[in-house]
Amino acid sequence: MNGPAVWALVVLGLGVVVVRRRSTAVGLVTAQALVLVGVALSRARTGNDVLAAAALAVRAVAFAGLLMFLVSRTRELRPVRAKVAAPVRAGLALGFALALTWLVPISPAADHYAHQGVLALVAFGVSTVATRRATLFHVLGIVLVENGLALAALTLHGGSSLEIELGVTLDLTLLTLVASVFHQRIFAEFGAGDAGALRSLRD
Amino acid sequence: MTSALFLAESVVAVPVLAAAGTAVIPARMVQRIAVLGMALTAGLALAFSAVVLRVPNQPAAGSWIALDALGAILVPVIGVVGLASVMLSASYLRTSTTSVVGPQRRERIYYVVLLVFIATLLAVPIAGNLAMAWLLIEATTATSALLVGFSGRPRALEAGWKYLILTSLGLGVALLGLGLLAGGLPGDGWAGLSWHHLGHYAGGHNEALVAYVLVLVGLAAKVGWAPVHNWLPDAHSEAPPPVSALLSAALLPAVLVVAWRVERAIGPAVGPRSAHRILIVFGLASLAVAVPFLWQSLAWKRLLAYSSLEHMGVLALGIGFGSPLALAGVAVHIVGHALAKSLGFYASTPLLVHDPRCAGHAPSGIGRSAPGLGTAMGVSLGALAGLPPSPLFVSEVMILAGGYGSGHAWAATAAAALLALGFLGLAHALLEMLAGKSRRRTTAHPVGLGAVVALSVGASGLLLGLTAVAFSLPGSALVSALVRGAS
Repeated sequence: MNGPAVWALVVLGLGVVVVRRRSTAVGLVTAQALVLVGVALSRARTGNDVLAAAALAVRAVAFAGLLMFLVSRTRELRPVRAKVAAPVRAGLALGFALALTWLVPISPAADHYAHQGVLALVAFGVSTVATRRATLFHVLGIVLVENGLALAALTLHGGSSLEIELGVTLDLTLLTLVASVFHQRIFAEFGAGDAGALRSLRD
Repeated sequence: MTSALFLAESVVAVPVLAAAGTAVIPARMVQRIAVLGMALTAGLALAFSAVVLRVPNQPAAGSWIALDALGAILVPVIGVVGLASVMLSASYLRTSTTSVVGPQRRERIYYVVLLVFIATLLAVPIAGNLAMAWLLIEATTATSALLVGFSGRPRALEAGWKYLILTSLGLGVALLGLGLLAGGLPGDGWAGLSWHHLGHYAGGHNEALVAYVLVLVGLAAKVGWAPVHNWLPDAHSEAPPPVSALLSAALLPAVLVVAWRVERAIGPAVGPRSAHRILIVFGLASLAVAVPFLWQSLAWKRLLAYSSLEHMGVLALGIGFGSPLALAGVAVHIVGHALAKSLGFYASTPLLVHDPRCAGHAPSGIGRSAPGLGTAMGVSLGALAGLPPSPLFVSEVMILAGGYGSGHAWAATAAAALLALGFLGLAHALLEMLAGKSRRRTTAHPVGLGAVVALSVGASGLLLGLTAVAFSLPGSALVSALVRGAS
């Protein structure tokens, strides 16, 4: 797999960790998904591969639409402040990515670049959920992890299967729809899509 | 195996069709169709179990469907608990006034989502492919999160949100593990992740170990094993009671069965001792985290939620010990826990009408103020505590004895001490609930009390029957099938 595509995916992912505005983060995740579509098409050998790439494209566009709709429906007076400052978030995410790369062994058959890219995206997704308070960023963190795993599926020995790609797309769409319902209800109930307000359940 | 295959497909298809039916039929018929669909499903689930268990030592594992003893144990449990949950949902919908959807569509949407959730749950233990099982588990997250937050109350939204985000992230980690596993399998990529193919993993030992840990940690987030259990007490306590019953009695063991299959398939590549030790660590950690909460004066559903954490820990230990005796204990424990726990959650609907303070406080004196309700709660809590002749007492003894027998004396001793402490905590809660000081109550008739009392009579009989069966289980064909597995 070519290095520039992986670098683009990683840089876009790191952007999601640090940016302040939700709409910018949605744009970055969408751009990332479109890069994945490009990767999928460049590796397509059969009709099923093209269909799997099409599923990725539909997912990218559908998510962009849904997430932008959510942003417009739940306008914040000012962005929800993250728990951690942007440079620290970036440092934590990069540190986590490096730790994962060190911990997870690479199989001899695997693509070195892609392997590291997948782990970086998973680390960035987890870091986003852990360090951001805005509920929409939690959803974006999960999408980031799934984008990383889509990259893993594309670069696997044997490639992805259409059934699994469609299944993951369907699952992720369902999850995002449910998360959007929650996001809107949390916004309506608490006046902000702020996970910091969700602290009543403690023992 | 053709009839078993047909039954396996039907048991998933019927609730899906019932969900489609409830989505379009007139509103007054929604509940009846849902109950009818689930009654048929429960019947098919029992038939499936009978057909598969007729020859338990001849499992059939295909690319997409696995017919084995594990599925034959869990599918009827999910079917029966699903039927009871659908039947008792009417009481919940009558007593609850709020929801995330408008009042016009509330009942219809609730039943449609509930039936789809049950259908996905039923598919998990018969999935013949790890990737397919992962997809189904992820699908249960989407549907059940909606049900957890269904009341729309702030605490329910918080619980639903935590559940959705934490388990999705966990499953993302598991998917990374799946990717690593697929890389070590010859040829087919993701589609080659059938239980049968996984046994032929050809990657290195380190790769297998990392992949196994990632898959197990991801699934642990969904099973609710400590330390990735944070969502469990919140989701179980804030969900509608029929949904809490399904989460605890069906969802957790269904995901646990997938973890068990992963252990059996990848264990040889990881090294059986390492594979078992990781499960034992999860089991002991879950017990250690749960027991202090069982000593606290908690609201009824929250107490049951921490009890789920304890019992999932016991099951992890049983699988980790891996001896035939321990695995026989696991089989009994899955069924006994499901019966007792679901009864406890169903009792919470009339309990909250009888004493609304119980939403946030431990129940006290229910045995004196409402003997029928107190009996149902007593049967549930007594069984969960492991009070003889509860089958959970027998299964815990089998698991611990299996631990000693398989050379895990230190873990079995630690588990025995923690279980004894847990028993004391639950026994105190049981006494307080039955004979403690009564508080002021509403005079309203507890909705659904008759159904819960009837269920408690049925559950008592089944629990006693299970205790009798447990004694005959060691050395049976079922246990050798559990040891052998689908692969």
